[in-house]
Amino acid sequence: MPQFESHFFSSLIFWEIVSFAILFFVLYKYAFPGILGILEEREKKIKDSLDQAERHRSEAERRLKEYEAKLSAVGKEAEGILLAAKERAQRLMEENEQRLTSEAERIKGDATRQIEQERRKALQDIRAQTTELALMVAEKVVQRSLVEADHKKYADEALEALSKSQPR
Amino acid sequence: MEESPLHPFELHNYFPINLGGLDISINKAVLIMWVVVALVAVLMVRAGSARKLVPGKLQILAEMLVEFIRGIILDTMGEGGMKFFPLIATLFLFILFCNLIGLIPGSYTVTSQIVVTAVFATVVYGLSLVMGFVLHGVKFLGILVPPGTPGWLLPLMVPIELISQLARPISLAVRLFANMTAGHVILGVLFGLAISGGLVIGWLPFAFTIAMNGLEVGIAFIQAYIFTVLTCVYLGDAFHLHGHDEHAH
Repeated sequence: MPQFESHFFSSLIFWEIVSFAILFFVLYKYAFPGILGILEEREKKIKDSLDQAERHRSEAERRLKEYEAKLSAVGKEAEGILLAAKERAQRLMEENEQRLTSEAERIKGDATRQIEQERRKALQDIRAQTTELALMVAEKVVQRSLVEADHKKYADEALEALSKSQPR
Repeated sequence: MEESPLHPFELHNYFPINLGGLDISINKAVLIMWVVVALVAVLMVRAGSARKLVPGKLQILAEMLVEFIRGIILDTMGEGGMKFFPLIATLFLFILFCNLIGLIPGSYTVTSQIVVTAVFATVVYGLSLVMGFVLHGVKFLGILVPPGTPGWLLPLMVPIELISQLARPISLAVRLFANMTAGHVILGVLFGLAISGGLVIGWLPFAFTIAMNGLEVGIAFIQAYIFTVLTCVYLGDAFHLHGHDEHAH
């Protein structure tokens, strides 16, 4: 076989080692750092992007939860406000009712008292006028002058009789 | 017309050089080596200086090769093996391109020279031995004793392991050389048949040469891959000494 012709061995070995050494040096110096570097960089970039996406997702989830919690809190608050307003309205209504009732009561009492007063006054007036009238009538009928005291006595008797026959 | 299917492996000195008694004449194989060095260097250096996050075609090709070699190293040697990345990658690329360029008609398959593959095998095996003794000292001789061997088996196991160790560089060299040679011999024989068969029957072996050429492209890759994997395995053996369990230390 031509491959076993030792005649070429020395040159093949020499040039193989030289070529390989040159190639090794060139690649080691100029190719591999760049290629490995960019591979690593890309790997890191992809990993970072994934990490970031994951972070964003969890952040979004957290925010959503936060908003949901806030929303439910707001709902509860609104409910509370509504309830308080209702209570207050109820209370106000009751208060008003009470106030109006007592006011009406008071007005009614006042009116009753006034009416009573008026009635008494009217009765007194009537009594006085009746006395005078009775005196006048008596004077005219009897045509005689009587002692003031007797007048009064007669009048009182007449009035007594009147109030007995017509109470209040 | 040359009849011998071994004709493609013959070398002729184009340019005789003598370096202090050492014949380093330029022949076809040497020229092809230079072509390989130039091709690989241009491809890898251009890809390495492009450094684009979104790579172009050339960068993708180079990155694929680098990623492939890195995968082999990580699989067989673990993270610590990346120290040898430049050496192993250069070896892989050199052998792969030698194999592939040899398939171009009229060129020369450098790796079909036993002396070329023998140098690679010797360097790889020698490196594994040197590294083993540097890392583990005399304990590296324990590579001749598989873990769990009972004492009374030692006189049997040590010679067996010694032979298997010595077979490593030889098999490494011969496998690549024989595969490359055989492929080209088959191609040569088939093509010789195609020529002598004429148009009547010659198309059949000719069709086979085409099929074989496709197969040879695969073999070029596979052999470069096997050489690289075995290199990693041998270096890894010296690196970890008895399996991967230890590389957690």
